[in-house]
Amino acid sequence: MNERLPIAEIWVYLSGSPLFALILTLATYQWGYLLYVRANRNPVVNPVAISVLLATLTIYMLDMPYEKYFEGAQFVHFLLGTATVALAIPIYRGFKNLKGKILAMLAALVVGSACGIASAVGIASMLGAGDSIVGSMYAKSVTAPIAMGIAERIQVSPTLTAVFTVITGMLGAILAPFIMNFIKIKPWWIRGTAIGVGAHGLGITRAFSVNEEAGTYASMAMGLNGVLSAILLPVVVSYLRA
Amino acid sequence: MIDGLVQLFIWQGLGELVSKLLLPNIPGPVLGLLFLLAFLLIKGEVNQPLAMVADGFRQHLGLLFVPASVGVILFLPDLKTHAFAVSMALLVSVVLTIAVTALVLKFFAKAQQDE
Repeated sequence: MNERLPIAEIWVYLSGSPLFALILTLATYQWGYLLYVRANRNPVVNPVAISVLLATLTIYMLDMPYEKYFEGAQFVHFLLGTATVALAIPIYRGFKNLKGKILAMLAALVVGSACGIASAVGIASMLGAGDSIVGSMYAKSVTAPIAMGIAERIQVSPTLTAVFTVITGMLGAILAPFIMNFIKIKPWWIRGTAIGVGAHGLGITRAFSVNEEAGTYASMAMGLNGVLSAILLPVVVSYLRA
Repeated sequence: MIDGLVQLFIWQGLGELVSKLLLPNIPGPVLGLLFLLAFLLIKGEVNQPLAMVADGFRQHLGLLFVPASVGVILFLPDLKTHAFAVSMALLVSVVLTIAVTALVLKFFAKAQQDE
């Protein structure tokens, strides 16, 4: 017992400070990212999913309440807002390459997004998922930082929204090439835009790894989709609920 | 790098301020994004420190939503019960979003060519 005491004290100190949650968050992500790079950036080996899985498992085994974990991890969480602002840069770069495609992009974005949201919300509620799950389907195709801001505004769980967003990104990044080949879409700018709308951040990464033009369009599409959803979704949702 | 971060924080702060005072329906960071975009369009270029920080964020955007996603632990029982509904909803909507977006763009591209 005497021998274990110092370790126990250090443990109490670490878990009492934000350091533990920060290390857990960053180290698991770092590890996930390493695996991802080793796997030639295969979207199945998603660093976020790996990090979330390991961190969740750890706090579960340590019996650490989520609130306690978040107290420390909130310093990482805070930067979401800043990352959102930074999305202005890819949108700006996209604007320079657009040359008259903006109307088509906006139209495609609105229609595509609306189909995605309607099908997700419709299927989830038809199959009897609870209100918290159905509500979190609204913003899931939007890039996570904006999605969570929207979730707060339409009073649904930002957490579930974030989880669905990550899964959506993974699925989209994995499936997009097959979907494109199936409906015979060749131009890079169309492929990029579609993956940016459907699979946000992860889709962009995938697009950039295949083709530079596709990546630029994907970034731009994701940014525009985020901005439009942030402005329109709260209005639409409050209308639907009225 | 600090220079770029400071610029982003200032735009974010401005966005939060406007969101609080004038447009409570739009998240502050989204307004910050729009202000920064307007600024960039007027200036006509992205300064180096800003581009660096933005690219860094883009590369590791995923890290930032780990803390929130770990909260999934609070919803595990609920998700288990509705696992089928959740997976169907996510799968179908992803395929539809991507396919419909691409088809609409294809339609427009074709219409433009035909003109």
